Amino acid sequence: MNDENKSCCPPPEAEPTATRSAAPMWIIVVTLMVLFFGGLYLDSHSGWFDAKVYAPYNSAEMLESFQPLSGAAQAAAQGKKVYEAVCGICHGVDGAGKPGQAPPLAGSEWVTAKGMSRLTHIPLQGLNGPIKVAGKDWTLNMAAMGAALPDSDLAAVLTYIRNSWGNKAGEVSADDVKKVRDAIGGHPQPMSGDDLTKMPE
Amino acid sequence: MKTGLTVFLATAVAFGASWLGLVYGPIAQLGGQQQTVVLQSGDTWPQQRTGDATLGLQVYRAYGCAACHTQQARQSGVADEITLTSLGSDKAADLKDYVKTLLVLPSLLEASNTIVANLEAWNGQVPLTLYSGQDSAVVATLADKLKAGGLKTDARVVASGPDLARGWGVRQSVAADYLYDVPVQLGSLRAGPDLSIIGVRSPDVNWQLQHLYAPRSLVKSSTMPAFRFLFTVRKAGAQPAPDALVLPPEFAPAAGLEVVPTAEARQLAAYLVSLKATAPLYEAPFTPVTAAK
Repeated sequence: MNDENKSCCPPPEAEPTATRSAAPMWIIVVTLMVLFFGGLYLDSHSGWFDAKVYAPYNSAEMLESFQPLSGAAQAAAQGKKVYEAVCGICHGVDGAGKPGQAPPLAGSEWVTAKGMSRLTHIPLQGLNGPIKVAGKDWTLNMAAMGAALPDSDLAAVLTYIRNSWGNKAGEVSADDVKKVRDAIGGHPQPMSGDDLTKMPE
Repeated sequence: MKTGLTVFLATAVAFGASWLGLVYGPIAQLGGQQQTVVLQSGDTWPQQRTGDATLGLQVYRAYGCAACHTQQARQSGVADEITLTSLGSDKAADLKDYVKTLLVLPSLLEASNTIVANLEAWNGQVPLTLYSGQDSAVVATLADKLKAGGLKTDARVVASGPDLARGWGVRQSVAADYLYDVPVQLGSLRAGPDLSIIGVRSPDVNWQLQHLYAPRSLVKSSTMPAFRFLFTVRKAGAQPAPDALVLPPEFAPAAGLEVVPTAEARQLAAYLVSLKATAPLYEAPFTPVTAAK
């Protein structure tokens, strides 16, 4: 049988052997191009994997550029917040003051004065002794409630009380507050109404 | 087995890589979420839920609400818009010519042309969107220019997209929105509407309860199943119970009976009205309409 088989069939071909051939150039070129454009896309759309950057924003810069413009609204909100936490307890959330505790801020000529210097001295130094507010005499003590506040917060509060409850006066900037604070120096003493009147407005 | 070490190392690398990508990566990117500050306000976002609303999340989960409702509004675009808010004492026709004279600036030529085109097509009604664009520097310059000219305009950041156009949100949902949701009920299928601001769209707890009991009594075309097992139908006393549902006749039970919500129904309703992702955040800025007025 074996002999028969041998005679019937051609001899088997040689075993195939592995050879190496170079990858076609076009595959290399296409791969590099895909990597290159993928890199470009990642660069312009990933937002560098910043947790704050969601589509449709492409980058932190783009997100930043879309933050609402008006800083004034933010300062007003901050002023209201600080006022209600620090000042409103005595002066009232409506600025109307409380008899025997604190004079009103609404309609007070000290608050709506043209300059902000005298007004800024009050929270930074405190008050002691008689002072005339909106036609009434008050003799009460006020601690230097604003001395511990940052300039920006105090400026926001002063701007807030100068522009709330019917008051209409100019804004107070953090720089203004800083100037007054520097002028007072390290050991603020409470002032009276007369002391204030002697100062420039 | 000679290759044991190789197989072990290869397996460790393969599993380790997926762990890095699927577990460690997201945690590193978003795991440090904290309450954030709402833009132009001293408030923080999000607020911790209280009482019934906290329990309601578990009811929402237990009954598979997330199978048909998502809680993620998507956004496809954002633009800076300048809107003319008021005519003041001017006439529309005068204003049209005046705005044209204001905008003779070569650097703003394209924007000016858009505004002029918008003014030409204007019917004299306010508010009028004068300009909508992506370049905030151009918008800021334009806004200053118009403001200096004495016009009552308003510059706003407006988020847009199909979800927002449907009223399902005012901005896209972001990771911070889900800070207190355990587990997060994102959902992936919308057989029903998105619920990320349902607490703003339907803030009335009684509406929510009636909608759970008989959805079609409030929304005719609703395909939502009625969750009647969350309510008790019982014999009414001489006075109806204070929390009994007030139903239209075709949905009301027989005379002498009343429908009162169970604790679960109340919790679910409290949870639904607590879904209010409308705060403008740093990562999803927009100018709220109420603040602009």
